Amino acid sequence: MSVVAAGFSGAPKDYFELFQIEPRFDVDVDDLGQRFRTLQRRFHPDKYSGGSAAEQRLAAQVSADINAGYQALKDPISRARHLLERQACDLRALERRPVSGDFLMQQMQLRDEAESLDPNDDGGREVLTAKAQALMTSELLSFQEAIEKEDYELAGSAWVHLLYLHKLNKEVAGSSDLV
Amino acid sequence: MALLQISEPGAVANQPAERRLALGIDLGTTNSLVAHVSDGAVKVLTDENGAACLPSVVHFGDEGVVVGSAAEALAVSAPHDTIASAKRYLGRSREEIASSSYIKLAESGVAFETSQGPVTPVEVSAALLGALRDRAQLSLSTPIAGVVITVPAYFDDAQRLATRQAAELSGLNVLRLLNEPTAAAVAYGLDSGDEGVVAVYDLGGGTFDVSILRLERGVFEVLATGGDSALGGDDFDRRLVEIIRDSAGLGTLSPAEERALLHCARTVKEALTTEAEIEVGLDDVVGSGGTVTVTRQLFNSACADLVNRSLDACRQCVADAGVSEIDQVILVGGSTRMPIVAEVVAALFGKEPLSSIDPDRVVAMGAARQADLLIGNRDAEDLLLLDVIPLSLGVETYGGLVERIVPRNTTIPVARAQEFTTAKDGQTGLIVHVVQGERERVADCRSLATFELAGIPPMVAGAARLEVTFQVDADGLLEVKAQEATTQATASVVVKPAFGLAEDDIADMLRAGYEHASEDMHARQLAEAKVEAEQLVAGIQAAVAGDGDLLNDHERESLMIAVNGLVDASQGNDIESLRKSIEVTGRASELLAARRMDRSIKSALGGISVTTLEGEAES
Repeated sequence: MSVVAAGFSGAPKDYFELFQIEPRFDVDVDDLGQRFRTLQRRFHPDKYSGGSAAEQRLAAQVSADINAGYQALKDPISRARHLLERQACDLRALERRPVSGDFLMQQMQLRDEAESLDPNDDGGREVLTAKAQALMTSELLSFQEAIEKEDYELAGSAWVHLLYLHKLNKEVAGSSDLV
Repeated sequence: MALLQISEPGAVANQPAERRLALGIDLGTTNSLVAHVSDGAVKVLTDENGAACLPSVVHFGDEGVVVGSAAEALAVSAPHDTIASAKRYLGRSREEIASSSYIKLAESGVAFETSQGPVTPVEVSAALLGALRDRAQLSLSTPIAGVVITVPAYFDDAQRLATRQAAELSGLNVLRLLNEPTAAAVAYGLDSGDEGVVAVYDLGGGTFDVSILRLERGVFEVLATGGDSALGGDDFDRRLVEIIRDSAGLGTLSPAEERALLHCARTVKEALTTEAEIEVGLDDVVGSGGTVTVTRQLFNSACADLVNRSLDACRQCVADAGVSEIDQVILVGGSTRMPIVAEVVAALFGKEPLSSIDPDRVVAMGAARQADLLIGNRDAEDLLLLDVIPLSLGVETYGGLVERIVPRNTTIPVARAQEFTTAKDGQTGLIVHVVQGERERVADCRSLATFELAGIPPMVAGAARLEVTFQVDADGLLEVKAQEATTQATASVVVKPAFGLAEDDIADMLRAGYEHASEDMHARQLAEAKVEAEQLVAGIQAAVAGDGDLLNDHERESLMIAVNGLVDASQGNDIESLRKSIEVTGRASELLAARRMDRSIKSALGGISVTTLEGEAES
């Protein structure tokens, strides 16, 4: 019998509330890290190793939530996702929405460039990395502006673009040496 | 109804005031060690001859079980009865183990054939743990309250589970399984009080690990880990065996001669650490072959691919960690004594590695620190270890592909819920196959378990919503829970380990062991249960004293009934009813525990600025 994976479930939590920071896109990641460590210092299961079974179970749950929240907020792409989830946006529907022809053309062109890159062509890779990162930066900015204006329609489109750019960045990095 | 005695806040101690003994154990492929903390300093315990390293060799002969160097001495005369490097086989399948030429497999199952009958890798490891426990008990008169056992960071779920089972078999209370590189970082980090990004390169006897950690104010946050759980000093030994065999033109050797040659190779490897070339006399080893010369240069070039494999893992790990600079490099494991290893690691990271702590001892020392903290000794160093899962967890979906549920390098503990649905009308059962690994296809990953969700109410295909929660605890061990969301029916989950031992096997082995000492066992278990009951009552009293306002009168009353029942039960000697009462009381206290946790989360960061955060972190 096969298994059909139907996606992640569970009501989305508000991680901004967990870390007691404002729900914004431009999060101070160092501050977030401090808050993460402060919370873990208090709720990690290791801090309850002398406690009852119930306390240990709870600590594991809380600590897992803190970990999940930190993961969701420290990276700009997953943070964007979390901001949309907080607004009860249907991400699956967003992901299925068609993107503009111009954007698609540009992406296909850049992917082709990434694929045909000679592994030893450091200069060529640098140029392509810079291009991909510039696009990412500007799209992150569009997302931030849309969120600030509470225009979730626009933010949704920017989010879909971010997904494409994320894949492109990975592809460019994949064709290079790791260190 | 009897009134619950409420102690003064702060007067109730959850932990006894006296120091409790907790051990750090490095269960290594070739050597095992045990350490503990005494007067704030870590001490590695030695045997009666002053040796810290216990060779990880167990002999299962006609005359009984022999552990350590005495067993090692029997390896040549009785190769099949003498199991070395059993760690390599923990949590492995029969097919994987069969490839080793020194091992004779039992007729079925994952076991070696010895004069004592079939012996599993878990039992070999349990014998080693037992020897270390005896060593500690001999030199320290305090009873052992708990142990932290180290495992390679790259160990998968099956290997971790097997390690835990070995501890269970040897009667040890495992406080935590700790990753070896993290333990090493603890040993160094606490000595120097350093902050920054640290790379730990750990080449042991049979496993290779690399971890990148960020140290900040006593928090050791693992950013990424990688490695190869089948790469270690043993592989270098085998290369050296091949060099010697080729140079001397040796033909087919008997198992005893093979073992003798391996011993010889190990000695040569150690000598090449300081010498550029070595003359090896083979007549005393295998009865022929004369003398051959082995140079370090030849050895290095024969092992270049092994070294490069470890460097590839390092590069991947640095990329995964997303760091641009490494502040410190730590060398761990006896195999890092090979000059070529230290050289290439220094070159890769651009930093001269630290090796001021004996690379054989550093892991056990870090584990002892963590054990001291977890057992609740008040004067223990305050530190927090945030580790990661080394390999992605996923489930099999259509076409033998893997759907990833928890990606590698996710900080643990972690809980992820995934929804599944049925593919056919009226389908009442579902089989979920859990795998671990980075590859896309199930066949290329490690199969951990299959479990069956039964009792799904019959519905049209795709209507059932089965929520399966994958939890990985701080030991890196996976637990699976399942529920049907629309009807709230809890599906039963039967986990069948893909290989290794089932829970029942362990229970059988334990029962067999206890039969000899059942009276002692009963007394010990009763005493342990009474201590547990006492701690639980004290804990609840303290919680009610501090946060009793979180319960309404009715809730408080039912909690009190449970607590009083437990106090009564702990006066008697009926272990079963005492255990039941502990369970009932524990469950009754969950509501208060949950509300207290909620309250403290709200207050943990409440209205404080970052500057106070930093202050708090330092205190």
